[in-house]
Amino acid sequence: MKIRTLATAMGSMAALGVVLAAPPAHASAEALIRAKCLPCHTETEDGISRISHQRKTPEGWLMSVARMQIVHGLKITDEERRTVVKHLADRQGLAPSETTGVRYAMERRLNTVEAFESEKFTKMCARCHSGARVMLQRRPAAEWEHLVHFHLGQFPTTEYQALGRDRDWFGIALKEMVPELASKLPLQSEAWKQWQARAPQTVKGEWSLSGHLTGRGGFSGVMKVTAGEGRDRYTLAFDGRWDDGRPMQGRGRALIYTGYEWRGDLVVDGTPMRQVFAVEDGMMRGRMFLRDQDEVGADVVASLQQAGNSRVLAVHPAYLKAGEGAELRIVGSGLAGEVTLPQGVKLVGTVKRSATEVVVRVQSDAAARGVHAVAVGKASGGSLALYDSIAAVKVSPAFAVARIGGNGTPTAKVEARFDAEAWAAGADGKAGTEDDFRIGVVPAKWSVEPFDEAAVRDQDVEFAGLMDAASGVFVPGDAGPNPVRRMSASNVGNLKVVAEVAQGGERLRGEGQVIVAPPRWNNPPLP
Amino acid sequence: MKHLKAINNKARLLDKAVAEDRVEEVVAMSAIAGCAATVDPGWEVDAFGGVSSLCQPMESDLYGCADPCWWPAQVPDVMNTYPDWNKDATNSREDWRNLGSVFPGDKL
Repeated sequence: MKIRTLATAMGSMAALGVVLAAPPAHASAEALIRAKCLPCHTETEDGISRISHQRKTPEGWLMSVARMQIVHGLKITDEERRTVVKHLADRQGLAPSETTGVRYAMERRLNTVEAFESEKFTKMCARCHSGARVMLQRRPAAEWEHLVHFHLGQFPTTEYQALGRDRDWFGIALKEMVPELASKLPLQSEAWKQWQARAPQTVKGEWSLSGHLTGRGGFSGVMKVTAGEGRDRYTLAFDGRWDDGRPMQGRGRALIYTGYEWRGDLVVDGTPMRQVFAVEDGMMRGRMFLRDQDEVGADVVASLQQAGNSRVLAVHPAYLKAGEGAELRIVGSGLAGEVTLPQGVKLVGTVKRSATEVVVRVQSDAAARGVHAVAVGKASGGSLALYDSIAAVKVSPAFAVARIGGNGTPTAKVEARFDAEAWAAGADGKAGTEDDFRIGVVPAKWSVEPFDEAAVRDQDVEFAGLMDAASGVFVPGDAGPNPVRRMSASNVGNLKVVAEVAQGGERLRGEGQVIVAPPRWNNPPLP
Repeated sequence: MKHLKAINNKARLLDKAVAEDRVEEVVAMSAIAGCAATVDPGWEVDAFGGVSSLCQPMESDLYGCADPCWWPAQVPDVMNTYPDWNKDATNSREDWRNLGSVFPGDKL
């Protein structure tokens, strides 16, 4: 009887599944969730099991839905998935302040060195995937507990890996980690409550935008944002220029999640790019990167041209050698009024000016030193570094991971890109002390060297990839076993990245490190 | 460690690193967001923060590790999550070109 009841119930569920699996075209998010999620999840007084008790970023929700597709056989089209993710991210997202410090994961800054206060957290969570993936979620204790059980069920060797087998992993996960996560990353928060009560932000209009793309240089321009088809959807048109004078143009669309998570999709001079920005108080901050090669990206800030939003975003270039003259582009919004330059820098002439850009010719005194403010009328926020000589060169990022790829595989190579940052010694004349100041990104001659003895022995310089001497762009070697290497090793490697900056007759040297790693085949939106 | 004796080269290297107090040197590299820091070995780096002690070529031994979810955040685990990942590459040493990325559909 019991078996029969169960069979009947399952039959009904299957029938329900058939009915629910075919939502009408352009179904609402609620209808889609009912059709796609309720065959397994249940409705309770508190909402839908599991789903209603978590808050995440758009990328976090996307990964959850994708996991349902991979592991539980959910059938959903990309369009339907976008609708569901939008709905969940809007209603169960994170407040902007709840993403502070961990936005790098959404921005695909995959060379970020993570450091967390809690050693327990680092060992438990951040030893396999980014800690940010966890820090960008909010759950009550019961849901964190489910996550522990999920990990052990789905990836049983978790307990046998280093940092698993040598301690009571399961006990620590449940009894210590769950309470820590529930306390630090709770479902309910004042920040989220306040964010939900806030009035919608204005994004339509002209945004003045400034950025720097590692391995290519600075750029600036104006991004016009107009209403698109549908709620929170926009069309955008970017017209700007690179610092070397070449034009830069992009057209595309954007969607805002959770009232501030801007995700732009545009084609810039023939290349598809993504924008992952946070919109807050007339500003956008984030990263713009190649859609199909996300290690190639730019730090971006933007400011909306509107009443009361006067600010300087950046000065291009942001440094000037003492005793020399230059043309500076001051980029920002509401740029009206007198240009205020640092003491010791003389305005020679104004080349052109608008509310978003003021181009000036300047001349600095031989004695001008330090990082000082640049303003235009009421607009402040810019700075100019004045220096007489470069004392040190730093390679940025100091650590990077490149990945072998290509060679007939479907997985593309992952480049590593570096900038050479010049630093000045400061008032004490000594490099490496607290009063050093950053001058900015300068041209350098790039090369790689073996990082250690093992890299010498394995000839990593020869096999692991090629560094472009002029741009600091490192392209790793081909995927696959390499029969001419010791043990037919892949073209992996451990290399020192060297930037040499010429100054007078001397050459200043900065060093970084690139690990040339195997491919990452499991590469979800949050690392 | 006083009751354990290194008997192969990798173990001797580990002993040496511990003796020279170099273990902390590798922390920054293995703490890069999303890289496996499970150090026996990790997917990106080995216990020394380098690559010379990784399984090489990894294609020879890939399934010995990927099957039991050794690096499930980097390499699709065939045991539970992606049973068909290597259906066109049953011999990884020969068919490695057929291994692809697994995230379904478009990203945001």
